[in-house]
Amino acid sequence: MFLTPEILTLQIVNFIFFSFATIAFFLSTKIFLKWDSTSSTQQQYKLEKQSYLASIIIKYILLFKIPLFIFFIFTLDKLSNIITGAMCAAGIVDATDYGSFLVIIKVINLYLFGFWLILHAKDIEKETLPYTKYKFGLFLFIYIIFTFEIFIELIMFNAIDIQQIVLCCGTLFSASSTSFISLIFDINPLIVISIFYLNFFFIVLFKILNQKELFALSNLLFILTSIVSLIVFFGTYIYELPTHHCPFCFLQKEYNYIGYAIYILLFIGTFNGIVSGFIKNNHKSMKNSLLFNFLYLLVVSAYPLIYFLNNGVWL
Amino acid sequence: MIELQNITKNYNISNAESILALNNISLTFKEGELIILKGASGSGKSTILSLIAGLQKPTSGEVIVDKKRISKLTDDFSSLYRRENIGFVFQKYNLIPNLSVKENIILPLIPNNIDENLLQTKLNKIMEKFNIEHKENILVKNLSGGEQQRVAIARAHINNPKIILADEPTANLDKVLSENFISILRELKNSNKTIIIATHDPIFFNLDIVDKTINIQNGQILLCS
Repeated sequence: MFLTPEILTLQIVNFIFFSFATIAFFLSTKIFLKWDSTSSTQQQYKLEKQSYLASIIIKYILLFKIPLFIFFIFTLDKLSNIITGAMCAAGIVDATDYGSFLVIIKVINLYLFGFWLILHAKDIEKETLPYTKYKFGLFLFIYIIFTFEIFIELIMFNAIDIQQIVLCCGTLFSASSTSFISLIFDINPLIVISIFYLNFFFIVLFKILNQKELFALSNLLFILTSIVSLIVFFGTYIYELPTHHCPFCFLQKEYNYIGYAIYILLFIGTFNGIVSGFIKNNHKSMKNSLLFNFLYLLVVSAYPLIYFLNNGVWL
Repeated sequence: MIELQNITKNYNISNAESILALNNISLTFKEGELIILKGASGSGKSTILSLIAGLQKPTSGEVIVDKKRISKLTDDFSSLYRRENIGFVFQKYNLIPNLSVKENIILPLIPNNIDENLLQTKLNKIMEKFNIEHKENILVKNLSGGEQQRVAIARAHINNPKIILADEPTANLDKVLSENFISILRELKNSNKTIIIATHDPIFFNLDIVDKTINIQNGQILLCS
């Protein structure tokens, strides 16, 4: 494994988080199996104290995981300066067999962690702690994926060979790519953006109709339609290059780090939207979802519009 | 109504050593009663007050106040319960010495974000009741023991709590001031407050306003009369 300060930081933080998460895992197992909120036995009071400790540990790990994910992407991007052939984080993701898998797991984990935080907030809102058993049960599942993520991350950084030339994002995100990504370039961009705007229309519609399950489902789909439309259509306007489709390059300084804003808006919007399908008092979540998804839509739509206004043609 | 059901409280000194403060006790206090918990130091009196105030949780058993399971509350809800229901008078008053009488008394109301005028009205009323209105802006560190205690009682009373808990309230007072304190107790009792006093001061033992005297020894109830 080659060690840059960023990789070293990630590994140390992962080790610390893993150690604390393991403590929380053992406590969570006990709480999940033995929790009885109606009981006033010595064991139950002990579990109540332990649940407080475990919640604090989990809450802080999960809160730090969000900026850590951004730091992870930043690290991949920075590594592209060292690895021959890589122009951005995409090259590093593709440098090993584990990269794409790791990014997907990290994104899934972010949504799971966020869901845990919401469940925790809802739990401590009530005197009866109605979700305690469920939230610690959920953490048992999250811990397994979290451990898997740390393990894969370690393997991925270990597997990167700095002598080996990797593919640049221009090749990876093109119709000539050998991966499944090439399939999305077979679809007409007009259809892709139509689906994207239609998806947003349904989000608004289900908010007006207060259909929380459909609202959550359309938010889930919005992640997919947003990323596909970003690669196929909007990205090209950010780069002002019809052939460049990379979803990582716009994280770089040349593009004013706009990628971070784009992904953060998308994450907050869709996360709130998905969560609103699972909770009772979801008015705030639905409102936040709509707001951030709309901001996302505004930001990505602004690029083609500005391009058209400046040049009088579409790409 | 306050119920203590099969309460046991252990204080863990270390992994191997613990002190049994209360040993499977059960008690019931009715609304408006004045109860004296008597017993030697370390008998468990203060522990009972802390449990009723939700400052501590029992090792096992349950504390129920007006059908609410106090011992099951989280810290946040416990604080809320205390703020709305409990007035606590401590042996050493626990006032903030560098704050004025007014500032000390209004402390429990700060989280409630009460309107300034209403706050002043409440404050004037309570200071008048406890005869400290002329000391409003004086720092409490400059007050006598008796005055400090009146401030402490005023602070315990400002939220208009249903329950007033007092831990050795006359331990630092002379006889005259203790009698003053008892006259304040009479007033509180007349306003239907539930008052629980942990004390070993004999001045309380034969008072006509006392409804119940509970004798505690080594964490167990010896006598309830």
